Amino acid sequence: MPLTRRTLLSAGAALAGVAAVGGWAFWQGRGQSPLLLSARNDDAGQHYCAGYFLDGKQAFATPVHERCHDITRHPFLPLALFVGRRPSRESYLIDLRDGTLVQTLHSEPQRHFYGHAVFHRQGEWLYATENDLSDPGRGVLGRYRLDLDALRLVRDGEVPTHGVGPHQLKWMPDGESLVIANGGIRTESDSREKMNLDAMAPSLVIMDRHGERFSKETPEHRQNSIRHLAVADDGTVVSGQQYQGPAWDSVPLLAIKRPGQPYQTFPVATEQLAMMNQYTASIAIHSEQRLVAMTAPRGNRFFVWDLDTAETVVDTPMSDCAGVGVVPSGFAVTSGQGRCRHFDCRGGSVTSEWLDLPSGWWDNHLWLS
Amino acid sequence: MRSAIVLGCVVLLAACSNPRQEVTSQLAQQVLLPAHQQWHDRNAALVQAVKGFCEGDAERTSVAQAFMASQQGWSYLQPLMVGPLSEGNRSWQVQFYPDKRNMVAQQAEALLDSHDPLTQQALDGASVVVQGLTAFEYVLFDDSVELQADKARYCPMLMGIAHHQQGLSGEVMALWEEAGGMLAQLTDFPNDRYASAEDALGGVLRVQITGVDVLKKKLGTPMGRLNQGVAQPYQAEAWRSRQSVASLQASLAGAQAVWERVRSLVSDGELAGKIDQAYAETRDKLEALPAPLFELVQDPANQPLLQDLYRSLDTLETLQQAELASDLGIQIGFNANDGD
Repeated sequence: MPLTRRTLLSAGAALAGVAAVGGWAFWQGRGQSPLLLSARNDDAGQHYCAGYFLDGKQAFATPVHERCHDITRHPFLPLALFVGRRPSRESYLIDLRDGTLVQTLHSEPQRHFYGHAVFHRQGEWLYATENDLSDPGRGVLGRYRLDLDALRLVRDGEVPTHGVGPHQLKWMPDGESLVIANGGIRTESDSREKMNLDAMAPSLVIMDRHGERFSKETPEHRQNSIRHLAVADDGTVVSGQQYQGPAWDSVPLLAIKRPGQPYQTFPVATEQLAMMNQYTASIAIHSEQRLVAMTAPRGNRFFVWDLDTAETVVDTPMSDCAGVGVVPSGFAVTSGQGRCRHFDCRGGSVTSEWLDLPSGWWDNHLWLS
Repeated sequence: MRSAIVLGCVVLLAACSNPRQEVTSQLAQQVLLPAHQQWHDRNAALVQAVKGFCEGDAERTSVAQAFMASQQGWSYLQPLMVGPLSEGNRSWQVQFYPDKRNMVAQQAEALLDSHDPLTQQALDGASVVVQGLTAFEYVLFDDSVELQADKARYCPMLMGIAHHQQGLSGEVMALWEEAGGMLAQLTDFPNDRYASAEDALGGVLRVQITGVDVLKKKLGTPMGRLNQGVAQPYQAEAWRSRQSVASLQASLAGAQAVWERVRSLVSDGELAGKIDQAYAETRDKLEALPAPLFELVQDPANQPLLQDLYRSLDTLETLQQAELASDLGIQIGFNANDGD
């Protein structure tokens, strides 16, 4: 089917129920395995925007110029933006029906992407964390409007993220306010070199999508860069940190902000912290099961804890574990170097199975729909 | 933990039907586990040597020999360090290297100043900076330490570190040998760590190839490759005991032990020959070094010799990282080395 506004909107109408009933229910209702979206490489170093059904069947693998990081799906159209990884100046709007590259979204001059973006729930707006290269590290929230006539995202403006080096952003349950992880690290144009490790300023900011700040809190350790986030249905926020200090220090790498409470350390065992090699990657919260999952690729370790009690549910080796996403039974986890896994956390025991997805080369985030 | 993870898939492959599983199993049982056992045994010997010296029954040289054996046991292990020793910050407890700011000397003396005498409990609770072989080496070899004259101050630290190392290697051995432990994870598939023998072999080879890269850094840093060509002798591994070359040799031997088991899987005979030659050349050049690395790097006349050795290591690394990995279909790295 050729890609036109009419066909896209038609497909969007058919998929409109996805947002309401959840992607899993939609795909399974059609007799299909859930669709996993992720940035991926191949052995030759080619970058792809990839879509695979969890049963291993490839939906598409679209070669692209730049390595991507996170993905955000449109709330009802069969579109997703694969967001360029820091310091990329490109992101890719993909037609999920066949992987067609609909648009290469270029960042504004003096801006680059940080790998993360989110579509607004009504589908018209997209927000991306970006670096102001005229003042390296100054975080901005780029605002883009989806032009349905032209099938393009169009830059509409920006507001500050009220911090330095923003990374992941997530919607709060009201769908209008955002929680933003300002990593606190300045990097220059076209560089991943960290310029201010002795003067980092990480912060967790909650603001509305128009830029009004509601709260700004900081981690206990100044060199603890807040990078990744997950938000529960009740508004509980969990963040994962990447510590820039000595490798042998023991510092908390997870923090939590429960509704109405200050941002504070999520208490995990010292032995578990030592397993993370100061680096956390992807976080997911299973709101129904009240579980929070986290990947630690440098420590080759995957964890799941009870969101309310912090009791350990899963603590297992997993080579270069990368993205983690919620499925009804628990979590699906990809790997940069090995096989992907599914963890069924229902009931009193956890079961795990290796998935039939391709092994390795998955980037650190995934989107399940 | 709410419960142990139950693997959904319980299909086990017959070991002998899969050459990669056979090689992985051989590596685990005949190379990796024995190397850990050797390290553990040498740590036990280190405890006895310190005891003899501190009780006046033996000379300092016996401790020095035991230290060098432990150091080389550890160096041999580094390219083989899959599993428990590479996890939980344990490797930092064995050796604090590189020590860019001479933290070992400062923190060792500060700890001794604050505890008279130093207790095992205090050492076990202290920073990893003072718990390992680098601090032991400082006490035993640094010119500023009057060990013979001040045994009361320094012997508790030697004994504390030796016991700490023995405890650490004992803990690691237990994690290898327990039911479902590392040895089992490298021999029975699938398991909680590896989906298949291919996954496990990839894990072992990644560590081994990374280990060769580490050798380049251990040579290149004191040569000044990261310092605009200005030599940094105090950044050589084990510079106080002048054991840098012996450590490099031990690590190269560990890497070669893995290669010799893997060779049978390589389809390209010419490549296997090149890798054999690269190991032999590197080993010969290390053996031919006429003096400790600490001294060699300080004389510009030795630069060609050292550059030649560095090139050999570089060739070995490239052959393994690119050609061997490609031949075996092993992926070397992705997010763990280059995440965001």
